[in-house]
Amino acid sequence: MHDSILTHARSRYLWISLALSAISIALYLWHDPAVAPNGGTWLGYTLGTIAALLIVWLMLFGIRKRSYSTTLGSTRGWLSAHIYLGTTLILLALLHCGFQFGWNLHTLTLVLMLIVIFSGFFGVYAYLRYPTLMTRNRESATRDAMLEEISEIDQNALALADGIAPEIHAVVLRSIENTRLGGGVWTQLRARDGSDIAIARIRAAIEKRETQAGAAPPALQAGQTIIAMVDFLAGGADDKQSEALRKLIDMLSRKRALATRVARDIQYQAVMEIWLYIHVPLSVTLLAALIGHIISVFFYW
Amino acid sequence: MRWLIRRVLKKGKSSISYEDDTHYGEILTIGRASDQAIFLPDLRAALNHASVTAVGNGKYRVESLIIAGIRVNGEITYSITVASGAVIELGSTRLTLLDARGDYDAAVEVSTIDKSEQAAISSSRKKPTSLSETWISKRWPSWIGFIVVLLLGLLLPAATHVVPGLNKVLRYSPLPSTAFWNPGEVDAAHKIIANDCTRCHQNAFLMVRDTACTSCHASTKAHADPARFNIPALGDARCGTCHQDHNGNRGMVSQAQELCADCHADLKARTRNASQIADISDFGSNHPEFHVNLPGWSGNDEFTPKSMPWSAALKENSGLKFNHEKHLKADGLNAPNGRKVLVCANCHQPDVAGAAMLPISFEKMCHECHQLGFDTLAPEREVPHADVPAVTYTLDEFYARRGLEGGYADARAPTIVQERRRPGSPPLSRQEQVEALAWARDRAREAARTLFTSKACVTCHSINTTAGADGGWHVAPVRVSGIWYVEASFSHAKHQTKACNDCHAGAASSKASNDLLIPGIDNCRECHAGAHSSGKIASTCIACHDYHRSPLLTLDKPATTAANR
Repeated sequence: MHDSILTHARSRYLWISLALSAISIALYLWHDPAVAPNGGTWLGYTLGTIAALLIVWLMLFGIRKRSYSTTLGSTRGWLSAHIYLGTTLILLALLHCGFQFGWNLHTLTLVLMLIVIFSGFFGVYAYLRYPTLMTRNRESATRDAMLEEISEIDQNALALADGIAPEIHAVVLRSIENTRLGGGVWTQLRARDGSDIAIARIRAAIEKRETQAGAAPPALQAGQTIIAMVDFLAGGADDKQSEALRKLIDMLSRKRALATRVARDIQYQAVMEIWLYIHVPLSVTLLAALIGHIISVFFYW
Repeated sequence: MRWLIRRVLKKGKSSISYEDDTHYGEILTIGRASDQAIFLPDLRAALNHASVTAVGNGKYRVESLIIAGIRVNGEITYSITVASGAVIELGSTRLTLLDARGDYDAAVEVSTIDKSEQAAISSSRKKPTSLSETWISKRWPSWIGFIVVLLLGLLLPAATHVVPGLNKVLRYSPLPSTAFWNPGEVDAAHKIIANDCTRCHQNAFLMVRDTACTSCHASTKAHADPARFNIPALGDARCGTCHQDHNGNRGMVSQAQELCADCHADLKARTRNASQIADISDFGSNHPEFHVNLPGWSGNDEFTPKSMPWSAALKENSGLKFNHEKHLKADGLNAPNGRKVLVCANCHQPDVAGAAMLPISFEKMCHECHQLGFDTLAPEREVPHADVPAVTYTLDEFYARRGLEGGYADARAPTIVQERRRPGSPPLSRQEQVEALAWARDRAREAARTLFTSKACVTCHSINTTAGADGGWHVAPVRVSGIWYVEASFSHAKHQTKACNDCHAGAASSKASNDLLIPGIDNCRECHAGAHSSGKIASTCIACHDYHRSPLLTLDKPATTAANR
């Protein structure tokens, strides 16, 4: 059976977490404090101590995954434990507070912890789903190889287009200019290669020129490169030109497919990383809240 | 128009030379075609790529002639008016538009962008392809989050403990004060001091001291003297051991049975027989029979009740003669104003708190039928109740006046008493006065004897006649209603859903006043049981008993040094 982060070591950490949960629930049900269950009973202090130590240990994963020389278990094992024990933390914290919530530092700590854990759930989902999609999308090439190929196609296409007609050369030039892979956070996550933005920019520029010059709209329509070339073909070109043009269209189609795959590759990678930008900073914030929580309850004991 | 075209030629590393050329024409054309003013042999340039027009005032208009546009000052554009100094990039060529100089109308500098610079430009124009290359970061949000939460969540509220007045300022600001630390709503009674944490939490990192509690709760009694009853659980107990605040409005009095049972289950052993209280752990299963406070009196009529374990055979002495059965006849009694049906509530009325019963009032409850008249010739006159000397005064005074006024129509009386005196009659002679008063004294004594021994008082009271026949009557003291179980708090008001007879069974058929009509523990256990009972009312110790009950000790003034913590 494939050993994923969830089934690592025959789901050892799943069973540890379930045992920890079962013991906590049993103690909580058996425990009958004189006042309502809260963090100040002996069970409250016990569960709180375990939960606080767990949080610190879970945060150490950030250090563990960077230390390649350690002999303290595999990173996969640590991650498996990180996931299961992190999930158990939800239960431990809720039992610790006795389901008492308020507009205070203590509930803020809980809320931060829940956001961190649930963002981690997304991370688990991404780690289980996207590496496969990524491999399939790359078709055993690397992103650099694909980018190399794109730039090669650009050079060849430009040379080929120059032999056909100046208009075609201009269209190919524009296509090269438009192919902008990557971009801001949102662009990366949406797998846009930037061509839409480029097209919109061209449209805006053309409109601007029209209004300034007061001239009639030019025959050139800002559309896709391939469609523009098909228009040119239909407009009557000699056989030699047609053949070269077909070759050029093949070339640019291949480039477009490559660009789409690169954009998707960037998207998968971004999705696999984006949750960490919530998970990590909020876990550090949680650490501050936890310190505040612990010190404040003993400050006014 | 004359254009100056200056070509920058690089020879070696630092040697630069210029080659000037002149172009005549309105428009400076740029492209790969050979007829262009600036000819660029570069595939990245179109044949007629762009044109530049000098528009005067040192400004130029750059226009792209193809749909790919032209990069001016780093941005792709189609048409733009720029000042001199603007840079046009096309492939590996850089055109810098210059101010007109000499006798030229316009000027442009043409230079080559070398390979390494091109690579740098293209990599700087490359859009980010991973999130780590974008503006978002993990590091600075982590620092901000950590510092903000630590500062606002911990340090600022903590500062209020050392900076006086800061907490008040913070409470009226949107910034968090110590209220942000409040783990739960304080008890209703403590809301009045809830805004000032230091009222209870006087020292940082120390549990709430008892002195903080007793600064208000000064008269609260201690449970027992911790020196005499040397139990760790008693000596070490803080107020906060049982009374925990910040748990909302559910009250701070712990109802837990363990709180008492933990010690009282084997109290004698724990205290090494210092306590003689019976071992108790659960009302339903381990609680001794109640000790009932039976009325009793010392030789000089001081109320000295006697505490005895309840039993069905127990008799009480209320000092009163009373037959419940006779009074509670279903078809009623003959009263002066017709027939009257009596029920329990006619005589047994609760006090204002609804807890205990008010004492029986002769005037309100008995007098309608049991009148204290003493003379058939003056049926409206009665002696006062419950005051033996006043009874004899009343009789003495009544008959003295009758004797001296005369007209008392009793055949047994002397003539002088029977004779009615008319207005204008001469006053009684000394002899006659003596005779009338002698009759009056005898008559008063007779009336008193009748009242005390056969007609009125003796109906309900025990009369002691040994004190002498001449007015030394002694009525036995009475205690009908009162607190029968002094160690427990019982409230009739809380038991209104029950009928009187449910607990005081046999009252309606009781013939003698010494029947003890107060129920024992079995009666309570019909409904009540201990904390862990099922099917009955879970009644913990605190339901009937008080914790703070030590008669001599209060919490703020411990009698012993051992209690001084």
